[in-house]
Amino acid sequence: MTFDLRTLLIASSLTLIILIGSLTIYSVTSIDIYYFLRFLLISIFAIFLVTLVFNQINLNRIISVGWVLFSVNLLVVLIVEIIGSEIKGSKRWIDFGFLSLQPSEFMKITFALFAIQYLRFYNFKFTFFRSIALLLTLFLSAIPIIIQPDLGTGLVYILFGLILLFICGMHRLYFIVMGLFVILLSPIIYNFGLTEYQKSRILSWFSSDQSLSEKWNILQSEISIGSGGLFGEGFLNSKQNEFNFLPEADTDFIFSIYAEQFGFLGVLSIFLLVGIFIFLTTVFSMEQKRLADDLSPYFLGTYFSLIIGFSFLLNILMVSSLIPVVGLPLPFFTKGGSSLLCFSIMIGLIFSSRSFLK
Amino acid sequence: MKDNRLNMYRGRTKVLLALFIVILLVCVGRFFQLQIIDGNQLKELREQNINDFEYIYPKRGRILSEDGIVLAEDRKIYSIAIDLEQKPNEDSIKLFSDIFSDQINFQFVKSKVEQSLKDRKSIVVLSRIGQEDLAKFFVRSENLIGFSVVEDYEREYDPHPAFFHILGHMGYITQSDINHFSTRIKNYDPSIWRKVGKLGIERVYEKELQGIHGRKSFQRNARGDRKVITDEEPFAEGEEIIISINYDAQKLAYELMEGKKGSIVVIDLEDFSIPVAVSAPSISANDLKDISSTQYQELLNDPSRPLFNRSFMGLYPPGSSIKPLLATFALSNSYTTWDETIFDDGYFRFEEEERVFNAWKEGGHGYTDLNKALVESSNPYFMNLSVKYEKSKFVKLLQSSSFGTKLCEDCYPQQFSPLINDAWKQRNFGKDLYKGDFINLGIGQGYMLTTPLHLSLIAGSLALKGKYKIPHLVRSNDFDLKIDIEIEEADWVKLNQSLIDVVYSKNGTGYRIEAGELNLAGKSGTAQLVDINSREEYNEVRKNPDLRDHAIFIGYAPYDDPRYSIAVIVENGESGGRVAGPIARDVLQELLNDI
Repeated sequence: MTFDLRTLLIASSLTLIILIGSLTIYSVTSIDIYYFLRFLLISIFAIFLVTLVFNQINLNRIISVGWVLFSVNLLVVLIVEIIGSEIKGSKRWIDFGFLSLQPSEFMKITFALFAIQYLRFYNFKFTFFRSIALLLTLFLSAIPIIIQPDLGTGLVYILFGLILLFICGMHRLYFIVMGLFVILLSPIIYNFGLTEYQKSRILSWFSSDQSLSEKWNILQSEISIGSGGLFGEGFLNSKQNEFNFLPEADTDFIFSIYAEQFGFLGVLSIFLLVGIFIFLTTVFSMEQKRLADDLSPYFLGTYFSLIIGFSFLLNILMVSSLIPVVGLPLPFFTKGGSSLLCFSIMIGLIFSSRSFLK
Repeated sequence: MKDNRLNMYRGRTKVLLALFIVILLVCVGRFFQLQIIDGNQLKELREQNINDFEYIYPKRGRILSEDGIVLAEDRKIYSIAIDLEQKPNEDSIKLFSDIFSDQINFQFVKSKVEQSLKDRKSIVVLSRIGQEDLAKFFVRSENLIGFSVVEDYEREYDPHPAFFHILGHMGYITQSDINHFSTRIKNYDPSIWRKVGKLGIERVYEKELQGIHGRKSFQRNARGDRKVITDEEPFAEGEEIIISINYDAQKLAYELMEGKKGSIVVIDLEDFSIPVAVSAPSISANDLKDISSTQYQELLNDPSRPLFNRSFMGLYPPGSSIKPLLATFALSNSYTTWDETIFDDGYFRFEEEERVFNAWKEGGHGYTDLNKALVESSNPYFMNLSVKYEKSKFVKLLQSSSFGTKLCEDCYPQQFSPLINDAWKQRNFGKDLYKGDFINLGIGQGYMLTTPLHLSLIAGSLALKGKYKIPHLVRSNDFDLKIDIEIEEADWVKLNQSLIDVVYSKNGTGYRIEAGELNLAGKSGTAQLVDINSREEYNEVRKNPDLRDHAIFIGYAPYDDPRYSIAVIVENGESGGRVAGPIARDVLQELLNDI
């Protein structure tokens, strides 16, 4: 068991992120110690469990049932659509009592397992048919997520799926063609493909009319962030949260509350920790020793590292109003059980794919 | 080959990793902007979020009559309003409209709720609810989500119509009110006050009556259901205003004018306060409280003009009632003496223009001196004098008798009696005054117009030998004024005697007043509303009641030690002596009995 500096950095940055995330959840959720402990325990337990249970050998076994996991996951998403409980107009949750899960979150993982299983069979060589097959699977499986309706999760799912295919080496021509398609089709999609609610979200991002309720959320988020200043208002001192001015303070906009409490320095610290963690895990995953034999640990490791990084960025871009509000969780901060579990599993898979514990 | 693929994979991962780092740096920049550059500004917005305040409205000052009767005061009322912080739902709207189904229906409440939510403004659904309804509400209040009881003050007036024009009324503040008060009240903040005085005392003494509003500062959450009071500025109730109106006399005066149009104004000559100022017809000030705009339009368009304050705003030709003033003017400038006599045959021939003027009495008054001209009201005598008037001296007389200036500090609104001079005539007719104009002016007709308040003041200043002050309702202005006439004490005594004779001698135009022991001196007048060339025409005109002459009486009492002056105008009342005089007698009687 060798601990070098990099391993130490990865472990300590992750620990700090989880700890800070748990504390922030504690500060937001009416200062209830239960949330703090649950959050901390779930994440640590899940990470350890996944890391310890899987090593490179049985990771391969997991990949070999990728298509089963993916199909089951897709089936559960469809079932939830029919029987799931409604939260804020979107049907997407299964309630386990202590934990309510959003099965569509896990599609990011199971699609990757499925795609890698499929590609591994062909030694990761793309043909036209395979490319189209994977793209079609990705887009078609995104439909139930988008319909639910949760456009944000659906689009992010597609985006992350494309990242996976990009990592796995699909020809760049596909990405160029798809990029052109999106640009050309975007007006048509906007006019015919979106509900009024979705349109208003996008509109509010461009409009300066503060009366739109979406704009209100963004404004309140900016107010929270800005109020933090350089040093922040101090732990448990978020007035925006105390007086309920920031909607979704415990989910989508939790980082704004963090920024209000810990200021620009606190924000920089988190950025630094996340930056270090993502950079190092990605680089580690790239240095797979047995790369020549089986590329799947490489792909899984880099894919999960990067999408945790991009999930983080997308949420940060959203709360600071650089992109429209799309309802994305912030890894290890957002209260929801599914995203916490999902990111914990990803981390566990990163660790097991690299076999840090030799 | 394998290495190439490996490099491709690594290259792609590096691209994504670089993208991650670039976006992370963009985020650093963005947070630097939000927290460091815009930090203070956003923090300010946060404080605005949390900190809010509401005004505590003071009770408006009462208005009392001179004899201590409350004419206007604020009463506490309860209303039910839509509570924006807990929006009403379908169920609570249904329940609410069921409980008060005798007053409102579901559709009405629903539309109010929709409007309220749209405007983000709390709207009153049921105003002025009684104790019984209040109890009904509180019994079910737990289920009446989104409705709450609000306390407010409401102005309650003495319902008698005699007081409306003096007191005025309250109304929602408009831009013109803001303009009005901004120039008159220091540091006026129109955003505070919802209702302001629109007319009368309510408007003139707005500042004193309104009091000082309090302010409750608090921190509140986004839903508004948690409030922490952080600061409270105390409020101060409005001042009490006591006006010079005598309650009983004012009421009596209005009742004497019942069914008539016109005005009565009495001035107390001790301090030039106004104990009676009646304009008829009128309404009760309470009637304007919940008036709809169509009802208000109807009142405005009513031909009898009940909203028009004739006492301070109505301009009437004074007719013969101006003759005593002109008599002193003529004596002062030696246009005549008490001994000079003319022969009045019922006509005045203006030779320069070869025009003939009819006088009111057929056959005339015969040989007439100044005393007889006053007592029997001879027009030819005064027309004869008027051709001698020098323009500049005449204008000076009008000026010194307060033509063309404000007549009362706190009468609102008020109209000036126009100052008739060349400038005035140029403005209105594009010509200078000429001799012929003075023949009409000399008998109080033509261009001459006065308000009832002004006529009462002229009567008072004659009683006090030319001295007077500006009248008032609340605050006196002790500036001494004097009419520009220089006559002997003996002349004043003779003038007084002539005005006594008007009322008490058998030939006097006011003999039918039967003033008895009131010791009334005065002068009647009739104001012609149309130019008439012959008596036949006059009888024709009389058939239309709206064209009949106005009856005027001015006077003062007691004549040996004048205390009150009065002016009575009865529109289309025809005879000053018979119609206006007895009203003046009764009002003065009431006031003098009171002393």
